[in-house]
Amino acid sequence: MFRLTLEKTLNHLINTNNIDTEGLNNKTIGLSVDEFNLKLLFMFTNSRVFVMEMHDQQNIDVDIKLNKTAFLSLFKGASFEELIESDEIDINGSVKTAQQLADLIALTSIDVEELVSHYTGDIIAHQLGKSIKLVKGKANNDKVSIVETLKNDLTTLLVAPSQSRFFNNKTH
Amino acid sequence: MGKTTHFGYQQVDVEKKQGLVKGVFDSVADNYDLMNDVMSMGTHRLWKNYTIASSNVTEGDKVLDIAGGTGDLAIKYRKKVGPSGQVILSDINSSMLEEGRKNLLDHGVIDVEFVQANAESLPFEDNTFDCVSIAFGLRNVTHKNIALEQMHRVLKKGGCLMVLEFSKVENEMLEKLYDFYSFNLIPKLGGLFADDEQSYQYLAESIRKHPDQETLKTMVLDAGFGLCEYHNLSGGIVAVHKAIKT
Ligand SMILES: C[S@@+](CC[C@H](N)C(=O)[O-])C[C@H]1O[C@@H](n2cnc3c(N)ncnc32)[C@H](O)[C@@H]1O
Repeated sequence: MFRLTLEKTLNHLINTNNIDTEGLNNKTIGLSVDEFNLKLLFMFTNSRVFVMEMHDQQNIDVDIKLNKTAFLSLFKGASFEELIESDEIDINGSVKTAQQLADLIALTSIDVEELVSHYTGDIIAHQLGKSIKLVKGKANNDKVSIVETLKNDLTTLLVAPSQSRFFNNKTH
Repeated sequence: MGKTTHFGYQQVDVEKKQGLVKGVFDSVADNYDLMNDVMSMGTHRLWKNYTIASSNVTEGDKVLDIAGGTGDLAIKYRKKVGPSGQVILSDINSSMLEEGRKNLLDHGVIDVEFVQANAESLPFEDNTFDCVSIAFGLRNVTHKNIALEQMHRVLKKGGCLMVLEFSKVENEMLEKLYDFYSFNLIPKLGGLFADDEQSYQYLAESIRKHPDQETLKTMVLDAGFGLCEYHNLSGGIVAVHKAIKT
């Protein structure tokens, strides 16, 4: 569910703000947080991103490892450079690519802690709602239709699958 | 009998399966939508919505829905791709395509193309589509591996395949209940609502013969996809396999 929420939010951001993801095209980026047992694979393709589960021995262009605190602060918009300087992030591969992904994640303003602690449909709605607020001012598209699309997708997310492993390891 | 394959629980000649499946869908076409709602208690709509939402289809995309039948997915894709996009609904069966045409018209959707085609030999150029989907269709295809290779071929690099199909239920209790429902109630409902118990018996059996989640994932990867993962819906009654051509 977390992956889906993140995937939907990132794609809405990319679409509604016409964010140029050209530099990330055809790149696969692994992002893992051991403390959460979280292994994400971001695959950028045709101006969109797929967020999948990363498996060992998967071919990736950039591998990002972070600790729990760095991961949470990334979603709060913390400076990526500072996180690197403070040794909280370990990057294997192009730092520039990692930075681009981090910038995109920071834009989502998903409150990961909240998402992890209260795993309910309402919270996910709230999260998606927040990301709409963020893009509203900038979007050229009809705002109502964006909200409608998200609402439709949300129904869907609510019938969604078993929890990911991430949610079996609560943060607090 | 030469090489055989399953048709529900029966073993039949490989050459014959396609014709037998055609017979089933010729027979159920008229009542297909009604029966879907009755059998799944409306849940098939949520499963389909989930599939579309996680496909990440967006404006301007070219989408192919294989075994598209009465067009539930095509209608939704049409909305997503907007005027600059393109949606093709293909199915092997002309009766199902005919029902699809009517259904789309009923929904005021006219700009979807219809192509009668076998999933095993898709009449499209390589690297054409941003998304290819097949919902509740793969289990009816005789050579699933060939169909998956075809789907891979017609997808663009970076394109996404969505397979929605009945699968293996995760929980033992639910499995027992579901077995009872499928083998005792579904054929009866088929008899009652569609006057066609036999076809619905086949549908229930074909679900059990379909590869489970992990096996299908391996088949998808073997067909050439670089990434594949699945999500179980409704406790594994159905699974959505999502794969990317890398
Ligand atoms: C259970 S229906 C699903 C229809 C629709 N996708 C839906 O979800 O409502 C299965 C469809 O698969 C089609 N089909 C069966 N074998 C096929 C094949 N080899 N190639 C393409 N379509 C096939 C049938 O004609 C039928 O319309």
